[in-house]
Amino acid sequence: MSTPNNNLLDRLVGLSMLVLATTVFLYYTIWTLLLPFVDPTHPLQSAFPPRVWAIRIPVILILLGGAVVGSFLGMVMIRSNRKKALKAQQKKAS
Amino acid sequence: MTRAQQTLSIGLLVASVYMVAFLGLAPLPAVIQNELIPVLPIWAIVSFGAYLLFKLGYGVLTFNDVPEARAELMREIQEAREELKKKGVEVD
Repeated sequence: MSTPNNNLLDRLVGLSMLVLATTVFLYYTIWTLLLPFVDPTHPLQSAFPPRVWAIRIPVILILLGGAVVGSFLGMVMIRSNRKKALKAQQKKAS
Repeated sequence: MTRAQQTLSIGLLVASVYMVAFLGLAPLPAVIQNELIPVLPIWAIVSFGAYLLFKLGYGVLTFNDVPEARAELMREIQEAREELKKKGVEVD
């Protein structure tokens, strides 16, 4: 069914997901939980955008994700309803 | 105690502790703490998402092929196909 040896690609995808998840977690944790305790003049502060964005970015992503999922669901439902209406029409005509 | 009741009670506990901290009902060490408490829920959501992604990636990474099971499954499918064809059912 699937191609016989996609093992390498699979492992690469899995590994990259792992690395991405860990990076996101560490970066976000330092940003939100650690930086308030760090001197405003410390050089570490320059690696992070202003903290308002720590709230805005996840909210924007969640809203975007919800919009994508919702529109996909809507498209599928409209398509299936259209098919059902077509079938009912054909039945009536025959 | 069912799993739902357990989850609900733990959730209520965490929520009430957080409410106490959020509304300032308990005196907290420094003004900085009043910059940390408001971001905790979003931090929890982001960390949960990261944890799920980690779990997914780990599963993909350690997913192993089983060639003998695949061969056996193919054989079984072939047998079932022939048997059904004998009884007059066409499958594909």
